Amino acid sequence: MWAIIKKEVKTYFFSPIGYVFIGSFLLMSSFFFYQYIFAYGYIEYSYLFYYTSELLTFTVALLTMGMFSSERKNGTETLLLTSPRSIISIVMGKFLAALIVILITEVFSLIYYVIICIFAGGITGLTVTLSTLLGFVLLTMSYIAFGMFISSLTENQIIAGVVTIILLLASWFLPDMSSAFNVISPLYQFQKFPEGIFPINETITLLTQTALFILLTIVVLQRRKNLK
Amino acid sequence: MSIITGFTEPTQGKVEINGYNVSKKAKKAKREIGYMPETTPLYNELTPKEFIQYMAELKGVPRKTRKQEIERVMQAVNIADVKNRLIRNLSRGYKQRVSLAGALVGNPKVLILDEPTVGLDPKQVTQIRDLIKSLGKNHTVLLSSHILSEVSQICKKVIIINKGKLIAVDSPKNLENKTEKENILLVTVEDSENKIEDVAKRIKDINKIKLVKTLSDGTKQYSISSKDDTDIRKEIFSTFAKNEITIFELKKAEASLEDAFLDLINNQQEEPEKTKEEIKQEKKENKEKQKKEKQDKKAEKIKKNEEQKSKKTEKNKKKGGDK
Repeated sequence: MWAIIKKEVKTYFFSPIGYVFIGSFLLMSSFFFYQYIFAYGYIEYSYLFYYTSELLTFTVALLTMGMFSSERKNGTETLLLTSPRSIISIVMGKFLAALIVILITEVFSLIYYVIICIFAGGITGLTVTLSTLLGFVLLTMSYIAFGMFISSLTENQIIAGVVTIILLLASWFLPDMSSAFNVISPLYQFQKFPEGIFPINETITLLTQTALFILLTIVVLQRRKNLK
Repeated sequence: MSIITGFTEPTQGKVEINGYNVSKKAKKAKREIGYMPETTPLYNELTPKEFIQYMAELKGVPRKTRKQEIERVMQAVNIADVKNRLIRNLSRGYKQRVSLAGALVGNPKVLILDEPTVGLDPKQVTQIRDLIKSLGKNHTVLLSSHILSEVSQICKKVIIINKGKLIAVDSPKNLENKTEKENILLVTVEDSENKIEDVAKRIKDINKIKLVKTLSDGTKQYSISSKDDTDIRKEIFSTFAKNEITIFELKKAEASLEDAFLDLINNQQEEPEKTKEEIKQEKKENKEKQKKEKQDKKAEKIKKNEEQKSKKTEKNKKKGGDK
């Protein structure tokens, strides 16, 4: 698994994808940060994440769209599946690699927190910050697992990317129509975290979503092996 | 091949590699295999060195020996001079060798090579063939190829599979010999008076003489078949010379592996093709039967409906009449 994580992270940064992802993400969040402080006067780190989490809906597909689809298209899938690695470790390796890239971004975004702390003259709102960060990690996990699942279904990166974005967008807006959709919306679940109370229900929901889609990806790959 | 390597699950039967069942003990079985797929899939964004390193890590080559192993493999396939260039920019021949290196790393006991020389220039082809030959000393090499001359050069044992059925398992020489039923000689002669057939009749052992082609310089090439185990070249030479037929070329036509292959496939094809046609016919008949049955049923239904309708109308009429 470690070999796969290492190689995947490497390829994210050998190709423009990794930089585009981190760059666009930080650019947009800088913009939001600026706007919050100067236009609205909110001096709180966690507010930033309301917007950046929405931004993630669009950008996460950048990381996940090629995960399995490009391997299948290039035929490199053969190399993975004929190596003495189990499908579980292949899927987990790819999942964790994408997660690492997002965690790197998150570490960068701590700059805003530092800036706020400097201006506030000390550490402020630590619990809210921590809970927001945790929520954000859970949200990205759920998103990555979903994108990975979509990527395992098709051979075409673009289709995987577009479908991922559309379905994630749908899950974002569905709770507006009926509260019955709250459970399937990762973004809705996340928005409890910046309130500063550690929400157990939402944590479990997000983790379940993650596990579900990782499992589905494994099933898809295993089935394809049997159906060829 | 993809079943042997564990890429696809078998629907029937099983594959064992050095005693490990590929679908049940996948990890152990796969560790024994080095597989080079036909399309030579590679990660274009990596360099050969990184690619081989990745393959080594995937195959679980221990960290201590990994560096040495990578160096060894790169030397074996001779790609050390391009090891730091992106695979994307390499020529086809280099890519092929990088892919082979990926299969070799970890020193697996069984090497499975799917058409390793396709798309290479003649020099690279001979290089790769030599490499495979030398690998055959320490590994079991399973090579799939459509180039039969290559097979007869490299391989010690040939397995011919047609439409999923095993036709022949033998050494290439034995296969060639099997199809060689009679001696065939190819003779190119200058024979302006066209008396070669008469002359040929005088030689006892000749079974048949056939014109193959007339060459541009006026000479003609004939194929002469004779009984097995007789060599009539001497006799042909002397009698042709006496009758003023000049021999330009005289050689023995050898049966190649290709002939053996075609022979085997043709022999085998006759049967399944017939059965296929039969199956088709059966299917057709069945379909027709089903159609007929359906039509009959429809007709019956329509009849019934009509009867019911007519009954109803009669009833209505009766009712109407009653009223």
